[in-house]
Amino acid sequence: MALKTSSPRKGGISRANGPEGLDSIPLRYGDDPYVWACWLYYEDGMTQGEIAEAMGVSRATVNSYLADAREKGIVNISIEPARLASLTIAQELKRHFGLADCLVVPNDDNTRPLIGRLGAAGAQALSKMIKSGDTLAVAWGRTVLSVGEHLDMAPLQDVTVVQATGGTTASFAYTPELTTAAVARAISARCVNITAPAIVASAQMHDMLLAEPLIREQFDTLSRANRIVFGISSLRPNSTIHTSGFFESVPLQHYLAKGAAGVLAGRFIDERGRHIAGPLDDRTIGISLEMLRGIGTRVAVAGGFDKVPALLAALRGGYVNVLVTDAATGAGILRADGVTSLDGKLSQRQKSTPVANAYRTHVKKFLNNPNDVVEEMLDGLIAAHKPYLQPIGNSRRALVARNGPRPGKVGLVIGGGTGHEPCFVGYVGKGLADAVAIGNIFSSPPPDPIAKCAVAASGGAGVLFVYGNYAGDVMNFEMAAELVEEQGIPIRTVLTTDDIVSSPVEDKEGRRGVAGNFFVFKVAGAACDRGMTLDECEAVTRKANDRTYTVGVALESCSMPQTRRHNFEIGPDDMELGMGIHGEPGVSRERIRTADEIVDTIMDNIFKEMKAEPGDRVAVLVNSFGATPLMELYILFRRVEQRLSAKNITIEANWVGHYCTSLDMVGASISILHLDRQLTDLLHHPCQTAILSINAPETDGAARG
Amino acid sequence: MQTFDNASCGAIVLSMAERIVENRAYLSEIDGKIGDGDHGVNMAKGFGMAAERLKGKNAPLAESLDTLGTVLMTEIGGSMGPLYGVMFTEFAETIQGVEKIDAAAYSKMLHAGLSGIQSIGSAKVGDKTLLDTFVPAVEAFDKATAEGKSFGEALEVLVTAAEAGRDSTIDLVAKIGRASRLGERSLGVLDAGATSCAIILKELSEGARTRLV
Repeated sequence: MALKTSSPRKGGISRANGPEGLDSIPLRYGDDPYVWACWLYYEDGMTQGEIAEAMGVSRATVNSYLADAREKGIVNISIEPARLASLTIAQELKRHFGLADCLVVPNDDNTRPLIGRLGAAGAQALSKMIKSGDTLAVAWGRTVLSVGEHLDMAPLQDVTVVQATGGTTASFAYTPELTTAAVARAISARCVNITAPAIVASAQMHDMLLAEPLIREQFDTLSRANRIVFGISSLRPNSTIHTSGFFESVPLQHYLAKGAAGVLAGRFIDERGRHIAGPLDDRTIGISLEMLRGIGTRVAVAGGFDKVPALLAALRGGYVNVLVTDAATGAGILRADGVTSLDGKLSQRQKSTPVANAYRTHVKKFLNNPNDVVEEMLDGLIAAHKPYLQPIGNSRRALVARNGPRPGKVGLVIGGGTGHEPCFVGYVGKGLADAVAIGNIFSSPPPDPIAKCAVAASGGAGVLFVYGNYAGDVMNFEMAAELVEEQGIPIRTVLTTDDIVSSPVEDKEGRRGVAGNFFVFKVAGAACDRGMTLDECEAVTRKANDRTYTVGVALESCSMPQTRRHNFEIGPDDMELGMGIHGEPGVSRERIRTADEIVDTIMDNIFKEMKAEPGDRVAVLVNSFGATPLMELYILFRRVEQRLSAKNITIEANWVGHYCTSLDMVGASISILHLDRQLTDLLHHPCQTAILSINAPETDGAARG
Repeated sequence: MQTFDNASCGAIVLSMAERIVENRAYLSEIDGKIGDGDHGVNMAKGFGMAAERLKGKNAPLAESLDTLGTVLMTEIGGSMGPLYGVMFTEFAETIQGVEKIDAAAYSKMLHAGLSGIQSIGSAKVGDKTLLDTFVPAVEAFDKATAEGKSFGEALEVLVTAAEAGRDSTIDLVAKIGRASRLGERSLGVLDAGATSCAIILKELSEGARTRLV
């Protein structure tokens, strides 16, 4: 639903020519009663009567507001395309053939065979129609048997189900007897079979059998039928009619020569639906076409493209007034009967539901040689942040803080793939990380630069590795740790695992590290800078990680510089919940909602795990994945702040901006660090890096701290 | 007994690198479906760099594999860098000094590479990783030689098993690595590592088979 207000007048409401009773229109709707009415109806779920009362107008006025609102485009109602198509086809079939009702199953679901889906739909139709006291006639067939198998309804009273034709050979599963019995059983009805063959040897035998009192009684029941369900057989070579045994020994050629298009309850019709007389007429025991046409509710359940001519014939002949079919067959019937407007209707409708691929083939980027992006970025980055960091030796994949490492201090080494800027290099400097190892895009650095970092960061008190929990990073950092420990430098590792939706709480250690890195690095850097021991540094860093909770949502995928294509696609109306920082798909895909609703989902997830009491303090990070602008981040922060203050949780510090990105992904993450005294203290400890300066003596004016 | 010559077969590594570079876009494409889409790029970078260093040197197979392993291990990073790095380094060490490589030596080499991978990674067969290609390929090779098939025949069996293993990942749910966060959504897609592993094993084994004497 899209709501548009027209030039709201602030404050002033009363209008001499305005509709009656609108003086009290709430401010938020401006002076637009249409929007007000729509809101109450679609959003608040009020009835038209309740709305009339709330608005102080008549019910008829509410009704016309709602109708006009749709015409004016204030309200847009959209239906899923496959369902829309089947509804459009159903409506057109109903109109074109003057049916009482029509049910068309979409063809989007090809996981189940058509017979089963038609059976389920036919069962649904029947269950709405059959009432206590009815007599339902049932013709034989595979589809009708499927209806019986799917039928499941509360027991009715005094319902009779009667077989519409005589019996056939039992060499197949959908004989008239079995089909009728299945339907009767499903609705707990009395079952009346016709205890004579459907086709007998001679007209004489036919007359004799019908003279039998038992069979006459059965026929009396049949003649009382007020509803009938039947299938329709085509005469195509693959039709079951050839294998069913129903017409054994009968030359179908006779009927085909006369232009037979289909068979209904054992009777042949031509393409106009007229009965074709033939040698079988006098030998067939079962409902006649005249009898059938006299029944009130005549439900045909059939589908499949080969049945189009037969179905069309039955519709033209007026044998059907409730049709259950599938979308492809329905459309085929309409086209075969010369309905040309259908295509227009289907395509016209679809224009309003954007299904076209909205993505370009290539995403525009500032590039020279796509293979050199990391190297060229490092050229720029090392030059730009010269005051804070420098390459270790000649390796630009290992950078050290200019005034970071010092004797007696635990060294802090961070690192990971590129594409997350300002992560990780932005957090290297005094009071934060001492060195950073830099990998390729979204790819861990190899052991060598990590080892170089560790050696450079070492001040003789050991080195702490802090990095995100990803298989590649773990392997490379562990190999580096082994290399460095051989040189007598003790290494401790804390893996960040703040992404709380990446794995359930029982598997907390398996979670990935995302933007919450920011808080964990900050605390670790402060602990190291305070001169805490390696043990203490590790413990407090672990605590910071345990108390950091992040959830991300992506709206659009990111694109790699080498491919310049989206790594995957998120549909026009979708979002990906649980998106990490590598552009790998998230945990679940949902319809996009309002910013507040998205924040609420995120915060609800966080509150579920964070045991915060009123009065507790937190630090908040609202982080862009790359392409989401600050404007939207502030909108998100606004709601985060509301949710926290409603719980009386104080925001001790907050950051809103690009802190851990995923190239050009559209989306954002929210991280909350649940503070305690020690963490608060460390959070405020001075630091000075390219991206983050806190309480630093000479704070860079542009620093986003 | 069929063997191939260590000293003159270094070119196998060059053609392996060529295949990987050729498949750069394809490997990234399938990786992008459930991973982060960089597998082809990183693999091509590492194999390309190794090929640069080896070109024109006519180095023996062991030395070529060692160069490749070292480049992957030290320059590439990610998870494939160390995994394939260890595998090739182990391959190289096993056949170092073996003049004529026979089926037994080849098997020994494969097993060393496999245990190298298993020593740093924690994946098992069925987790939708390169092991789903590697393990059945090695098993098929050993079984074929145990049944008395020639080295050449066993190499053919190995390639078939590797490709079947690769295809088996389509029906697997990822249990490890980034794709594992997807759970059931990782079904229906080839694993990129299993695919590159099939390329590597095929090139290595075909290269060996055509050089058998």
